[in-house]
Amino acid sequence: MISVQLILLIIFGLAAIWFGWRVFMTSSMVRSAFSLLGSMVAIGILFLVMEAEFLGVLQIMMMGTEMSIMAIFMMMFMMDPGGLGNMDMSHQKNISIVAGIVVTAFVAGVAFTTDWGIFADQVQEPHEQNRLLGMEILKRSMMIFETAGVTILTGMIASIAVAISIKNDAKK
Amino acid sequence: MELLIAALIIAAILFGIGLYGALSQTNLVMIMMGIELMLGAAMINLVAFWRYLHPEAFSLQMFVLIAMTVMALEGAVGFAMATHRFRTSGTVEMEESAELKG
Repeated sequence: MISVQLILLIIFGLAAIWFGWRVFMTSSMVRSAFSLLGSMVAIGILFLVMEAEFLGVLQIMMMGTEMSIMAIFMMMFMMDPGGLGNMDMSHQKNISIVAGIVVTAFVAGVAFTTDWGIFADQVQEPHEQNRLLGMEILKRSMMIFETAGVTILTGMIASIAVAISIKNDAKK
Repeated sequence: MELLIAALIIAAILFGIGLYGALSQTNLVMIMMGIELMLGAAMINLVAFWRYLHPEAFSLQMFVLIAMTVMALEGAVGFAMATHRFRTSGTVEMEESAELKG
């Protein structure tokens, strides 16, 4: 039986795939960044369709910000960010296409052939999900969450250290 | 069960597209975009497993939060490397990055 959830899953799944494909099919780098934003927003909506409201909203907000920054970096770093010169910035295309198709076929094959066991029909209300996720973070997964926080701090320091201008250091 | 299979197939196709992008592109930022797509596909799988198999196990949602952290960090460190690379060689084309070759 085809449910509303399945129809929405297929619609937004196809949207995520189409935007994901457009990322590598356009010669404009800015369009690539905004296509990736479209794909990530579609993934966030898929989370909402699968009733993971908190994760869906978080995904849309985080990726909206990250992809906007990515578009700015594209304009700063690319010789031809608008794609007016139709530059080709790809290599080993045939191997990449074969690798993509083989991996997709393998993963899809695993999805079809695995016995997934008992299917869960019901899920908690959004407020109850948030409460239980909070309990998970503050109890069993507290160390993992703390590690993620420290990792973000380390990543921030490492990013600044890598990106800082060498010329300024030399002057001192 | 068809809901879980549909979500897994969508994620498999997205992963394949991301892999194609990460392998075929020569620009650092475009390679990062491919990796982001692959991580997005992994997150769809995690949410689908939580929703359709174990809605009581919130450690699966915790995994999604960790995957989001990895995505953000990959973006931050990748952009920092791109900035450094652009400052030193004026380009972020990876085909021109062969300094570490022996």
